[in-house]
Order: sequence, then structure tokens, then C-alpha cells
Amino acid sequence: MARPIPAWLAPTSLEEALELRARYGEEAIVVAGGTFVGILINQGLLQPAALLALRRVRELAYLRVEDASAAGRPLLRIGAMTTHRALERSPLVQRGWPVLASTFALVASPRVRNQATVGGVLADADYASDPPALLHALGASVVARSPQGQRLIPVEELIVGHYETSLRPDELLTEIQVPGGLEGAVYRKFRSRSSEDRPCVAVAAVRREGRLRVAVGAVAERPQYFPEICALAAGQPTIEPELAREIGERYAAAIDPLSDARGSAHYRRRVIAVEVRRALEDLNRIIAARGGSQSHA
Amino acid sequence: MPEPGDNTHYAEPDPRVTGAIRYAQDVELPDMLYACVVRSPYAHARVLRVDTSALPADVVALTPDDVRSLGLYGCQIKDQQVLAVERALYIGDPVAAVAAATPRAAREAAELIEVDYEELPAVFDAVEAIQPGAPLLHEDLAISDNDAAYFGMRPEPQRNVCHHFRIRHGDVEQGFAEAEVIVEETYRTPSAQHVPMEPHACLAHWTPEGRLEVWTGTQTPFNLRMDLAGIFGLPQEHIRIIAPPMGGAFGAKTFVRYEAIVACLARKAGRPVKLVLRRDEEWLTLNRHPATIHVKLGAKRDGTLVAKQVTCWVNTGAYADCGPGVAQKMGFASPGPYRIPHVWVDSYCIYTNLPSNGAFRGYGATQAVWASERTMDLLAERLGLDPLELRLKNVLVDGDRYCTGEVMHDVHFADCLKAVAEQIGWQGGRRGKGLAVLLKGMQTPSRASIVVEANEDGSYTVHCATAEMGQGAWRAIRMLAAEQLGVPVERVHFPVPDTDIVPYDTRTTSSRSTYMMGRALVEAVRQLKENGELGYGECVNEGGLDPDTGQGIASTHWHQGAAAAEVRVDEETGKLEVVHLHTAIYAGRVVNPPAAQLQNEGSMIMGLGSALFEEIAFSEGQVTNANLSDYNIPAADDLPRLTYELIERPGAEIHGLGETALPPVPAAIGNALFSLGIHVRDLPLTPERVLEASERRRAAPV
Repeated sequence: MARPIPAWLAPTSLEEALELRARYGEEAIVVAGGTFVGILINQGLLQPAALLALRRVRELAYLRVEDASAAGRPLLRIGAMTTHRALERSPLVQRGWPVLASTFALVASPRVRNQATVGGVLADADYASDPPALLHALGASVVARSPQGQRLIPVEELIVGHYETSLRPDELLTEIQVPGGLEGAVYRKFRSRSSEDRPCVAVAAVRREGRLRVAVGAVAERPQYFPEICALAAGQPTIEPELAREIGERYAAAIDPLSDARGSAHYRRRVIAVEVRRALEDLNRIIAARGGSQSHA
Repeated sequence: MPEPGDNTHYAEPDPRVTGAIRYAQDVELPDMLYACVVRSPYAHARVLRVDTSALPADVVALTPDDVRSLGLYGCQIKDQQVLAVERALYIGDPVAAVAAATPRAAREAAELIEVDYEELPAVFDAVEAIQPGAPLLHEDLAISDNDAAYFGMRPEPQRNVCHHFRIRHGDVEQGFAEAEVIVEETYRTPSAQHVPMEPHACLAHWTPEGRLEVWTGTQTPFNLRMDLAGIFGLPQEHIRIIAPPMGGAFGAKTFVRYEAIVACLARKAGRPVKLVLRRDEEWLTLNRHPATIHVKLGAKRDGTLVAKQVTCWVNTGAYADCGPGVAQKMGFASPGPYRIPHVWVDSYCIYTNLPSNGAFRGYGATQAVWASERTMDLLAERLGLDPLELRLKNVLVDGDRYCTGEVMHDVHFADCLKAVAEQIGWQGGRRGKGLAVLLKGMQTPSRASIVVEANEDGSYTVHCATAEMGQGAWRAIRMLAAEQLGVPVERVHFPVPDTDIVPYDTRTTSSRSTYMMGRALVEAVRQLKENGELGYGECVNEGGLDPDTGQGIASTHWHQGAAAAEVRVDEETGKLEVVHLHTAIYAGRVVNPPAAQLQNEGSMIMGLGSALFEEIAFSEGQVTNANLSDYNIPAADDLPRLTYELIERPGAEIHGLGETALPPVPAAIGNALFSLGIHVRDLPLTPERVLEASERRRAAPV
């Protein structure tokens, strides 16, 4: 009869998971927390032959800090199966990368955050999720593993389109690496409807070693980053109000926003200009207060 | 003897918490099959052929040929068949159904049915649907013989109008001629979903004797029984409706929903058949009426209202359901609780190719209050008057006549308004603050009856058709019975209503049950005390309106309330923050204070959702947000400071309070925005709309 029940593959080790991934390739949909895949299957948008569930691969749930990486900065290593809630509540993260803790705390509701994983949200490449823009702005990378070995992919190269990543069919996303050495970082989530809704416009702004990096999320198929606009702030100890406004307006002009139930393209463009400027104003305040970071609802 | 309201903390565990409660969706019978509905993918199409040849042998299919000869139904207009036999009228209209051994097998079987359609032109907007040349949805509009057709229906043949309600009071032309100031505006409110936690669920079974038994989550067991009797050509007593408690309803579980389809499947299968809807199917089942409302209001320079003209275009979707009733209530709520010598109302209930719209907490009042109360603030601004003063100057008081001609009694609109104004700090400055008042009728005419029986063990049983949907009606009625019988509430039992046993009740709608049943109970208990065994009591409220003049008795019992809101606006993004929301509603006498308070809170929160973001999105008749990720309802973090008061009065009768606080909430928030110069006409108040309105203000010459 019609549709077979998908095979449920539940490896208990990474090695086994990699082997199954290589064997099934695109035949199997990888399930981490299941908060996204579950909805797609229920809505009939996905009809996979098999589901590769990583929940029992315990070795992929961890949070570690390397005090000095090759670049001389501390490095946060996040196992792909770490839940949003674990990240948000980790003292390690709260101390060293407070913007990560506070941003993950803004995702959906505690019920979802107890289930959703950091690896899952990146591999979904959903334009309306909170974490991708922030991880992009933080210069994070992911580790992609296959039986043949592993490679490091910067988040900006990982997410290539709507629900599309550069992961190969035999690769699993196993780790997220977030470098430290931040002078300041901020994430602003602008919601047009419920507090539990996804963002209408999301802005992440990070300053590290005098360089500004602004990524705007939820407005296009992938996070939007314009190095040439951010370069306007290079070498400036603080971003003057005029410059903050200019960067906001330039981002609004550079982005071709999409329309959805959370706002029209026209409206989003307006909000991008405002929220980028506000993110930079927040960043100024944070840097002036000697480091630290924050997220805004 | 316990005092009313004292009996709230009790020893028995709450079955909703222990899990002991059996909701409609929990009912099971041996050998039952599970149903799945096959729905039209077209908004308007001729159904040419339904092919079931690919189905496995053990699947039972229901096709148009099975139901063609069955009776038409519809609680007010008979415009519906069990399946879309000739034409499907909306995306989601059932054209076939299957029953199989498991829900999954049923879903898969449904996909194997092939249907050929011939697509026809469709219309989705109510105003467009009554223009010449619009596609006609129904050829004949027979008036229903169901009890729910309780007023004169005025369908307009060969036009998509299934009811035209009018109020003709005074001479409106003369009124406007006398007016020194006239304001005029057009408003729109969108469709919304009830989102009950438990979806629609029903189970049907035919006994060997040929009786139909239906277990269903319904607020209207007797209306349902009447329509099923008409469909199957059976005497009503051959049909038994059992109405288990529901996990929420809010109006969605009224009249015939899927019971007829499931009963047909069960008859064909010779086995019980059960259906529980998927969440997304709720958006295809029943929603709130979108409305376009034009208001013209005239007053003297001192604020005395002299004339009001209102036109409501009420979009009832593909089938009338109780849309005529909603249009009528919207029509007679739209003048508002004011003395206005000249009133002219036209309210049209209009067919379109959207899913059917029906009863929804507020029942037309939310739309009417939005238009009416926003216009009061337009007038106040034009006259340079305080919006509270303008209302108090015109508000109905005891002994006044409403525009329907009836004399108003036990009237507390001014009390409600003053209470909310005080709590929102009106006197301390009106910027960012707004208020709105509501008048809402209760089902009139209607009848409630109840039996109280003494049991051998000294306990009592109440036989009552009132539906429990989380509002606490069973508990309230038990408390009232316990109070009158002089026993603890634990000694009063309230079995699941069964139409074979319980006496007649109109239905559990319009916040009428505690009031009506409470009155019926007095006589029942008196009789029981007399004979020691059994007592029967009845409460009848007589009345009704002439649909052509709107004169008569609209309601024997008015729901009265007011809301006030304080807001802040992010002027750069249009994002609106409600800082404080307060409602005051007239409650007469509260039976169960914690339950009444929670119900009022729920009403306010539902009003907040309607105000800020609830809106069903359609694309050419297709619902595009039929899930709870794309359709937002309020979450805990969305709640502002939420305060309220239930106004009681010594010796007063019980007042229904299930819906009172919802309708004025969007209007109060809209008026709070207007106090900042931001005039938004359409709900919901999205940041995008607010920003646009805020820019219109800036662009306007000062």
C-alpha cells in the first residue's frame, strides 16, 4: 500500500552513525532533535525512506573550551547533539560567549529548546531560525565528518540556500566551533507577532580585533553579510551614530528581502535599516562597558 | 448551607489532571474503524467522477452516490449535503471519505481515491461576492426546520446572500440632517481559528435495531440530532447523541460537523466508525467570519448621538451554518450600548468559496465592537471630547429603549466603563490609552430544562444537556444544585449528557448555560424536595427580532463589559506593546470565582490574539497557515499586565461571562493607538499596519 513506514536507524556510536550515513546517503533524513523534521513529515512535505536518528549518539553532546587555539584565541567546541537548552544554561558558555547563551534562550519556547540541537538548526538551514545569523557573525565553523575523514566548513559556506547546505550526502555535521576573542557581540531578534514566533528580522553584530561583522537573518534564504559595508567601521574605536545609520541603510539597500507571514519585503527593508543601526548602537554600549555582550528581543 | 462561591475547594481530584477524563476523542468501541476525509483541492469545481477502484477490499468508501438521496441539512439554511455531491465549494470541501482498520490505513486509502473535477470560477471576498456576475454558490436556499433557525431567514434568491438583517429605527436621513458632525469609516476584520486543544472527534454506530448512536464533541446535541434525523429520514428518538467533555470548543463544535459522514460510513461498514481530525483540518472545518463593516455616525456638537448607519458584509464561506445568526447578532450589536434616536442597519450574510465560518467566542460582537467603538473615538476626536465622557453621555441606562425597541434592565455599561477607566489611570493622562464597551445578546428565544434525581445512597444526579468544554459549566451547575439541596458538591453527580436521558436544552452557546440552567434548577429542586424523588425544571426566555425591522426582543439578558488598554509603540518599526490590559464585566452573581476569573482571563487573552496577530491567511481560497507555527496564538510571554474585575451586586441574578471580555479588547487597543494619532482600520494590528498608519499621520497636514 501507499507509503511505507520509514526505517528508523538509531546508531549508538559516531562510527556506526557515519557508516549508516555513508550507506544510506540521501535516502535517510538525519534526525537530531526532530523539532523541524517532525513538522515536515507531519505536513507531508518530507516522505523519507529512512530516518537516521542521532539521539543515542551520546558522544556528540558536549561543550568544551580550548583555552588557546591555533589562532591564539579560545575556541568553544559544541557537539552537534547539544540541545539549545544545554547551551543556554551552560556556565562555560554564559561566561565566555554570553551572546550565544542569551540568543539560544530566545529560540521558540523551553519545550522546543529542550529538544532542538545546535547541529540540527544549522543543518536545517531554515532561513527563519535564530542561530544561523549569530553563528555566521561569530565566524563559527562546523566539522563535517565522513568515513573518509573530516573538513571544517565556515557557517557562511555551510548554508547555501533555502534549507540547503554544502554538506555531502555521506557527511554528518558533528561539531560547531566558535572562536572567542570578542570585543563585543549582540543579537537582536525582531518579532512581528508572538514572542514564541520566529524572527521577522534578526541582526547579529560582532566585533573582534577591531573588525565588524554584521549578519542579518530571516530576511532572505541565507544570512546576509556584506564585508564591504562592515569595512566602513574598520579601525574606528566606536561607531559614530551617523555611521551606524549609514551601515543600517546600506544593509537595507543591499538586501533583497523576502515576503512571508511575518512581514512584506517592503516592511522588512524598513526594519533592517532600523535594527542594524540599533544593533550597532548596542554594540557601542557593550564595548564601552568593556566587553560583554547581549541579546535583545 | 454553603454560601455561593464558598464551594470552590473540594476533595475530589480533577479528572482533567489525573487523566481519568474521557474526552470525545478517547471514546472507543469494539471493532471500530477509523475514518479519513477526502477533500476538494479546488475552491469551486464540479465533481465529475469519484473513483474508488484502487482501494483495498477491506476499506469502506463513501462517495457522492452513497449520499445523493439523503436529506439536505443546515442549522439555519438547508444548503449542505453529507458530501459535495454536485459541486465542491471550497478547498477542503469533503467529496468522499474512507473507513479503515487504523488511522494510518485510512489516511493512505484516502490518497488512493481519484476524483475528477471541472474547475469553476470562485469568489472569496464578501463584498465582491454580491456584485453582479459573481459566481453563484447555491441555487436554492431552503430555510431549515431545525430549532437553530430561530428567527425569520431572509435569503436573497440568485444572489450569494443567505440572510439580510435590518434595523429600521427612527428616520436615519432626518437624523443625519440634524447632525452637526458626521464621521464615517470602513473597517475589516479577518478570519480566525478557534484552536481548541482537542480537535473535532466523533464516533458513530448503528444498533441492530437501526438506531444511530453518536459520541461526539458537541455543544449542540439536540440541534445535531434534529439535522441527523432529517438527513437519514429517521424520527429524532431513533438517534442518540452522547456528548462527552471536550478539550475546548469556543464555538467550533456546533451543529453538524463530521457526524453525518461518520454515520454514513458506519452504516455502510456495519461497524462503528470514528474520526479525529488532524490539526490542519481544523482550518478547513469552521472559522470566524471575516467582516467588512461601514459605519456612519452623526452627533450634535455637544456629543449627543443622533444617527447611526451601519452596513455589515459578513463572509460565511461556502455553507451558511449559523452565519445568518452571526450576521444578525453583528447587526444588532453594531449600534453599541447607546441611546441613538435614528438607527439604520443592514447586515448581509454572504456566501464565498472559503471554508464555512460559524460560531466563534464573541459571535459577531468582536467584529461589531471593533467598528463601532473605533468610530466612537473618531467622533470624540472630531468633537474634541474625552472618549470616556462621550460614551458616558450616551450610554444606555436602566429604563432606556435600545434601537430594537426593547426596554433595558439591569444595565451596567457605565459602571464597566468607569471601572476600566479608573484602573487604566484615565484621569492621569489619556496618551497611549484607549477603552471600549460591549453589548452582546444571549440566545433569545431559548429553552433550558433539567432533571434532578435523588439516589438510594443519598446522593443526587443532575440530568442536563449542558456541554462541558473546559468552561466549568458542569461544576457550576453541580455547585448550584448542591447549594439548593444543602449537600456537599461531591454528592451531586453530573453524568455525560445523553439525548436518550437528558431533557431538552437549546444548546451550550452564547454564555447562557449557568444562567438558564441555574434558573431551571430552582424549580427542579423545589419539586424534588416535595416528592423526595425527582424534580423537573424549565427556563424559557421568549423573544426574538423581526428581521426586516430589527424590532422586538434581541436578548432577555445582556452581556455587558468594557476593556481598557495602555500601549507603547516603537515608532520606527510599528511594533506595538500592550503594557496593561484591564476588563470589567458585569457578572451579577458569580457561582465559582476561580473558574469565572480564569474564564475571563482566557477571554482577554483570546481577544489579545485577535487584536495583535491572529489571522487566517488565504491564497485564492487555500489556507496557507494551517498550523501553529505559521498561525500564532498568544504565548505566556505575550501577556501584558492583565487585570480584571467581575462586577457583582447583592441579590443579582447570575450573568453569563464566557465571552464578555473578548470583543472589547481589540477595540480598546485600537483606540489606545488612536490616542497616539495612529488610526488602523483593519485587524490584526500588525507592526506593518501600525507603521503604515503612523506614517499616514505624519504625512497628514497638521
